[in-house]
Amino acid sequence: MSKSLVIAKKDIGSYFHSWLGVIVLVLFVFMMGALFSLLLLSYGKLSLEAAKTAYEGLERIKFTHFVFGSFFVNMGFALIFIVPIISMKAFSEERKHQTIEFLFTYPLSDFEIVWGKFLGVFGFFLILILPSLTYVFLVRWLGAPLDWGVLWVGFAGFLLLSAAYLSLGLFISTLTDSQVVTAMVTFSSLIILVGWDWMAVAFDGKLAEFLGLLSPLAHYRDFTYGIFDFSHVVYFVFFCLYFLFLSLRSVETRNWKG
Amino acid sequence: MITENPKAIIAGPEAETMVRLENVSKQFGAVKALDKISFEIRRGEILGLLGPNGAGKTTAMRILAGYFPPTSGEIFIGENSLAKMPEKVKRMIGYLPEAITLYTDMSVMEILNFVAQVKAVSRKKRKQNIEETLCRCGLWDVRNRLLGQLSKGYKQRLGLAQALIGDPDVLILDEPTSGLDPEQINKIRALIHDLGREKTIVLSTHILPEVSMVCDRVVIINHGRVAASGTVEELEAGLDADHEITIVMGDRHRKNEVLALLESIRYVQRVSVLEERADRVAISIVIAHNAEVRPNINRLFAEKDIPLLELRTNRLSLEEIFLKLVVRENF
Repeated sequence: MSKSLVIAKKDIGSYFHSWLGVIVLVLFVFMMGALFSLLLLSYGKLSLEAAKTAYEGLERIKFTHFVFGSFFVNMGFALIFIVPIISMKAFSEERKHQTIEFLFTYPLSDFEIVWGKFLGVFGFFLILILPSLTYVFLVRWLGAPLDWGVLWVGFAGFLLLSAAYLSLGLFISTLTDSQVVTAMVTFSSLIILVGWDWMAVAFDGKLAEFLGLLSPLAHYRDFTYGIFDFSHVVYFVFFCLYFLFLSLRSVETRNWKG
Repeated sequence: MITENPKAIIAGPEAETMVRLENVSKQFGAVKALDKISFEIRRGEILGLLGPNGAGKTTAMRILAGYFPPTSGEIFIGENSLAKMPEKVKRMIGYLPEAITLYTDMSVMEILNFVAQVKAVSRKKRKQNIEETLCRCGLWDVRNRLLGQLSKGYKQRLGLAQALIGDPDVLILDEPTSGLDPEQINKIRALIHDLGREKTIVLSTHILPEVSMVCDRVVIINHGRVAASGTVEELEAGLDADHEITIVMGDRHRKNEVLALLESIRYVQRVSVLEERADRVAISIVIAHNAEVRPNINRLFAEKDIPLLELRTNRLSLEEIFLKLVVRENF
């Protein structure tokens, strides 16, 4: 376990040794900030109009739900672009530079390597979203009414969804030594998952139910509404474990492929 | 096909066996990379692994290093099986792969620190272990430089350094001098030689003179099998080949007398004059079955009171041994 942390630490450091990590961090923080500001402004406009027309529904458009709920929904889509860039480095880069050969001959189990790699991509992702915590304090300072429950449930859901996406990206990065291919395939896979969710929404009956059961976005939606359902947590945990397991098997193929 | 030549097995049980391969085979799909390889390496020995390209050297090294397990057979380091206790055994092994490319965006110090942590060197010993390794490998002056900025020679030394972290008993070095300039090669060889005093080393190479220079013993692999093993001298003897002696005599006028006398010595197959000058004659003598005739020649010249200026044995070089074995194996 501690050895996995050593690998994770090295990988997180390596994002910042190259411009890639810095550029991703700057772009991501800028994007989050822009999105959040727009949501704040549109809520402000809406609430002013509501005051003019004495719109009754305003009470129900809870601030937290409107701003943070929408924030998490949109961030869920932003993941499609950000996850491939983060996960492409994980195994592909080490395979390309053959540094992976060292890891395999050090006293490490394959599981420790895969788990360390996952902690690395997830750790870097946590650093990316860390600045968003300041929004909460900003909003508190502005004196807006915050519903903490809705906020934390949304946040937890967002972390689960990103962990799931990152584990998928991690698996894809074990398959090839080309970072570009990894990024493209991960991006396409995430697009397919979004399409999958749209199909679930578009269809009716049993088929829609089935599609919805497997769609990560369908499970994510409840979180953005501030609804905590433990079955969704179970879904995401299994999603992650499944792809970590596949990564482990993929790493083991060197035993017979050479 | 030659298997273990009885003459080529080193006698002497004084040192314990450090590395043992037992019937190790490796199959990649339909390709059999290694076919029941068995050999032993004793503590403190430097073993050279030779073989033509594609013979299975790197596969053997990778299996030894625990990169992947063999399809069948077992590897023991000391008393421990690599398959049963991979982590414990891997901690006893330092491995330098053929293509050394560590993390180019990290400094030498950062890399060694990472390796020490992964190899679970305790926090207390870590600093000392790293500093000793840096000094030993001549990396102290570049310890804060990024690997990407270092020359090939330094990279190779760093490769050795990462293998040495954690103070393993066994070093596995896959072509440690490939792609280096002659001066760097000498430095690395000196380092390996130095390390050989305390560690058991397996090194693969395609530079044959290197083997005679550095290694105590040789294992030649061909087509995934052990074609021969032993010391260089034993391999020469084991080949049962003819060898040549060149002598230089002083008195030109007694040339014919000498030629006749030489031909009468047992095992001498052919005598011919190589070069004739005013004051000296060089003669080549081909001797069968590696027989020792030098004392006879000496005695003969002493008895007849003919000045013998030079006597030199032209043994088969390792290159020739290697070629003979591989060719014999192939046809």
